[in-house]
Amino acid sequence: MGENKQIRLLLLIFLFGAVGFLNLFLIQGNKELTPIILYGVIILLMSYSYFIIKRFFVDGDTFIFMIACLLTIIGIIFLYRLDILNLYLHNQDMLANVKQPRNITNYGLKQLIYFAIGITLYLIIIIILRNFKRLRKYKYIYLAATLIFMCLSTFFGTEILGAKNWVFVFGYSFQPSEFGKIFLVLYLASALDKYESWKDLIEPAVLVTISLLFMVLQRDLGSALIFFGISVTMLYIASSKFKYILTCLVLFFVGSFISYKLFYHIRKRIMIWKQPWAYANNESYQVVQSLIALGEGGLFGKGLGFGHPEFVFANASDFIFVTICEDLGMLMGFAILILFFILFYRCMRAALRAKDNFSRLVAVGYSSMIAAQTLVIVGGVTNAVPLTGITLPLISAGGSSLIITYFALGVIQKISEEGKM
Amino acid sequence: MDLKNNIKKVLIIYLLLFLMLFSYIGYFEVFKAKEAVESSFNSRLWVKRAEVLRGTIYDRNMTPISISKKINDTKAVRDYRGTQYTAQVLGYIDEKYGITGLEKKYDNVLSEEQLDVKETITNLVEGKNKKGHSIVTTLDMNLQKKCYDLIGDNKGAAICINPKTGEILAMVSKPSFDPNSLRKDWKSLLENEDSPLLNRATNGLYPPGSTFKTVTLVSALTNISNVENQTFKDSGKLKFNEKEWIENYNGAAFGSIKLNKAFYKSSNVVFGGLGLTLKDQLYATSESFYFNKTITSNDIDIKKSQFPKAKAAEPGNLAQSAIGQGTVLATPMEMAIIAAAVANDGVIMEPYLVSKILKSDNSLYKNITSQQLGTAMTKDISDKVKKYMREVVLYGTGRSANIKGLDICGKTGTADFKKNGKDMPPHSWFIGFAPYNNPNIAVAVIIEEGGRNSEKAASIASKIINSYER
Repeated sequence: MGENKQIRLLLLIFLFGAVGFLNLFLIQGNKELTPIILYGVIILLMSYSYFIIKRFFVDGDTFIFMIACLLTIIGIIFLYRLDILNLYLHNQDMLANVKQPRNITNYGLKQLIYFAIGITLYLIIIIILRNFKRLRKYKYIYLAATLIFMCLSTFFGTEILGAKNWVFVFGYSFQPSEFGKIFLVLYLASALDKYESWKDLIEPAVLVTISLLFMVLQRDLGSALIFFGISVTMLYIASSKFKYILTCLVLFFVGSFISYKLFYHIRKRIMIWKQPWAYANNESYQVVQSLIALGEGGLFGKGLGFGHPEFVFANASDFIFVTICEDLGMLMGFAILILFFILFYRCMRAALRAKDNFSRLVAVGYSSMIAAQTLVIVGGVTNAVPLTGITLPLISAGGSSLIITYFALGVIQKISEEGKM
Repeated sequence: MDLKNNIKKVLIIYLLLFLMLFSYIGYFEVFKAKEAVESSFNSRLWVKRAEVLRGTIYDRNMTPISISKKINDTKAVRDYRGTQYTAQVLGYIDEKYGITGLEKKYDNVLSEEQLDVKETITNLVEGKNKKGHSIVTTLDMNLQKKCYDLIGDNKGAAICINPKTGEILAMVSKPSFDPNSLRKDWKSLLENEDSPLLNRATNGLYPPGSTFKTVTLVSALTNISNVENQTFKDSGKLKFNEKEWIENYNGAAFGSIKLNKAFYKSSNVVFGGLGLTLKDQLYATSESFYFNKTITSNDIDIKKSQFPKAKAAEPGNLAQSAIGQGTVLATPMEMAIIAAAVANDGVIMEPYLVSKILKSDNSLYKNITSQQLGTAMTKDISDKVKKYMREVVLYGTGRSANIKGLDICGKTGTADFKKNGKDMPPHSWFIGFAPYNNPNIAVAVIIEEGGRNSEKAASIASKIINSYER
């Protein structure tokens, strides 16, 4: 693909952003310039990063960068739309003298800041990482880091939305399990790239099992599922043995069954999944409201700003997919899924072209992390699979998730460069 | 190197997973979305309703019965001026307890005015508040109140229909409640064993007792030739075997009688015997009166009345069914329709409640006309049945309904029933119409546990007709 075509794609993304933010400017009901400023900053960030990537790292795959940015822009547009709504609801509550008025939020601006940090990290990785495959020798550092991040919230965690997976440090909160994923992939890649026999699998198996146990204890079932997905995918790539996958699946089902019997919160999830409408007033309230929002949107949606995300729980994070679908329709939902798949494809393509196994495994690990996360949360909010609370990568509000996703993409970008040399 | 191959396989597996998710979402949007959107858990419907000032429900003389009033800029309150008189038929709308009755059936109409392009633009320019359509019902508020008062402290229901059109003039169910204090009373309403929330007129199923003989009579006149000139022997008892028989009220024996006398004396023996002769033909006649069928109506939900398909080997059941006992069950609405069909030359009109839809400025938006549901008998037969029913009031069991100058026709009924295996005081029934020559009102009245003689319902019905005709 020639440079001209790439520039054209970039301009199309800018045009999309322009339409979105202009829309926000018009629906917000006052003359605030925030949407225009947000848009300006995004354009500057993207153009600058594109320039650097193109200028100095000609061989890299710019598609990864552009699709990631497009998804982030969709996220920021929608998060700012939620800010407008929350401000309106807050003002209404103030007028009505409600004791606890609903909060004013600043998702849009915060997300832009995380985006800036993420992109910077992305650029730093591709600039300072000279020889990626040398990183394989720090296996035990990754092992230690994974363990630390995994257990962090079990001991210092705070419970938010029913899962104890947040840690507060100096007033900032973050999800250690998100960072744990990054190190898990690095560890698995360095442990599996010289795979010869099943003996090489014992150490990784122990680590993965311990991580899963911590996740279940923290009630972070979504992350547990992602961990499992990543590990199995990487195991298969490294070993090419289908029987290992089968063993893993059997073990997974046995483990799930035992957890199902042991933990009420898991039984509840399954019960909700099977019969969401039977408990619509209580346990499955969130899922039912999510399904209603999805249905309300229909094919084309109600138009940006015309849906009712206020009835959807966690509308900026876990459930953002359905709130987007209510406003912009199933077609937008499909578009987002297609973008995620293209992103996944480009990342896997980098893995295919990589020269060494370590790089390959890392690229596969990170790509499957993003894809699995998309499948699990979109499947969850549409009740295709039991709901487990995780973020939709790149779109959901939240610094931890956005930053580590850009980190992962940066690494893949770097790997894609090596492939062409 | 097979790593590459593996990567391709993984890519395909993920592609399949994405495709499955696509199909699932597509399936949901096509087949499940409607159900989700229309579920009572969808709060958006309440937001939409709150944005417009709900339309008014009027009676046939343009007396407002349910009306929405603004209490401030964003909130309106529904004032149910019909109070307990119209509680079940018009229903209520409450964010917490849902929406019922006519308010539910016409929710779309009452909560959104259909405007043409010009009106939409003027409204936008002038910044007018959104309003819903108003509706004019067929109810006559005076008659409605009269029915309510006449039933008094009894449990029961009364329905008045214009037999020629199917317009519902009054529909009362007791005990009732005041929808204005729904929130305060909700708990006690739910706990009340007499279920005040239930609309007995359309959803209460009762054994119709002797009023059902009207259907048996129609069936006999249709299917048995020259039956009206036949002489029947009534010894007071109709025996099927050693253990089973039916007998007349008070054990009376009417001797040799004609069909008309058997009808106005309400002979169980003669009509039970007719049931044995008619067999499946009675079943067919009952279905032509909409037993075992849904009476379609845009405005009300009516429970299906039931007539059993009896086996010839069970003469007891056949005879019991023919006199409206056994497993025959009917709603008061069904019985009113039977009376109305006789009054309207055998033609059943669809019962309806809303005659006009108005725009928010009270100009006419849409007229609703009456519809035929079907024909239950020929005019010949309906003329005969009319005469028989007139005789019931003149000489027979319905004499307490006779009011001079009104020419009321009717049929009484006392319906035995058991509650928890115990015999209860029977329900008192009356169905009828007036005047004989050119009927303009058909009624059905049921007084639950009204007692052995059917006078209670008959006298209430005649007073209702009286108040309508004068």
